[in-house]
Amino acid sequence: MNGDAGLPPVASANVAVADPLERAIARVLTVGTYVSVAVLAVGTAMMLASGVQPLAGGPRFDLGQVGDDLVHLRASGFLWLGLVAVVATSASRVVASLVGYLRGGERLMAVVALLILAVIVLSVGLAIGLEG
Amino acid sequence: MLIVLLLIGGGVAAGLFGSLLGLGGGILIVPLLTLGFGLPLITAIGVSLVCVIVTSGAAAGVYLERRVANLRLGMTLELFTAIGAMTGGLIAFLVPERFLELLFTGLLIYVALTMARRDDPPLDTGLAPEDPAVEGDDDQSTAERLSGPGYRVRRIGFGVVGSLGAGVVSALLGIGGGLIKVPVMHVVMGVPLRVATATSNLMIGITASAGAIIYLLRGGIDPYVAAPTAIGVFLGATLGSRTAQRIDIRVLRGLFVAILLYTAWQMLQRGLM
Repeated sequence: MNGDAGLPPVASANVAVADPLERAIARVLTVGTYVSVAVLAVGTAMMLASGVQPLAGGPRFDLGQVGDDLVHLRASGFLWLGLVAVVATSASRVVASLVGYLRGGERLMAVVALLILAVIVLSVGLAIGLEG
Repeated sequence: MLIVLLLIGGGVAAGLFGSLLGLGGGILIVPLLTLGFGLPLITAIGVSLVCVIVTSGAAAGVYLERRVANLRLGMTLELFTAIGAMTGGLIAFLVPERFLELLFTGLLIYVALTMARRDDPPLDTGLAPEDPAVEGDDDQSTAERLSGPGYRVRRIGFGVVGSLGAGVVSALLGIGGGLIKVPVMHVVMGVPLRVATATSNLMIGITASAGAIIYLLRGGIDPYVAAPTAIGVFLGATLGSRTAQRIDIRVLRGLFVAILLYTAWQMLQRGLM
């Protein structure tokens, strides 16, 4: 239940420091999402142009290969870049929150943001560790 | 070419339906990819998580701009949904696909019954009913810090447990987890429904990301399928948010319940095969 976007304005939680922070985070989310979708659209157009069969099974994610694919303008490079950007957008929002809370002197919320980032890093570490 | 267009079209339908009915697209994307395109369930779940992040990202930005979402509460609870999602993402690769299919069947039936019984929310403030008997059972300063104007957050411990559960279910089944988070925040924690819905949407990005990272690095996301589907879902959700006022939701909800029950039957047959 994600709700609809057509909600009436309701006063948000707490104090003055939240307003510019919420605006900054909203910008990070909106811009990040639009950029991610645009990169995915470029990758999809290139995929169509190169005649790839989508249901034949795509390549596995390989960070080293992504750079090479981008340099050589291969569809998979743009598709992976867009997908990484999708995930990174959410993480960027937490980084923006961390900076905002540190600037605002809200140490407890800064620790919460830091712990969320730690869980994300742990997810990456566990996934890589289990694959290796 | 045709398959790409069908993936985009399916994504548009899932995003449109989800947006109009207040659901994430995951509940529709996973059956679409498994039953419609014959993909393995684990791949469908990975793709669905990506789609859920995309729809959440665009909507959460709007919610924050309009000051509906409670950022502090969302961040506090999403720490636990992220831990749950990390755990769920690891479990998903260990359990048999048949188990996940049966679990998803249960989820589809639950959502169908919930949607069938749901009344349209009254056009009031959306405030949760006060229960003075349980007020003050949390640490005062924490509750105050997480509360907003017109409501006071209570039973934070229940919120933490519910968030952990929502995270596990999200990563196991490729959904946003709002089906758990919204009722927990609204009914148990005393958060107004509109705030709970917006805050859940904000949290979904991190919840789904923690799970999606596991799928991404363990080969559970197919870029050729994920990209066109995510684009479609994004377009459908955008369209849905702009046409919501002009569509009779009751008719749509009836159709949606029928689709969910039919999909549950198909998924059950697949799980029992």
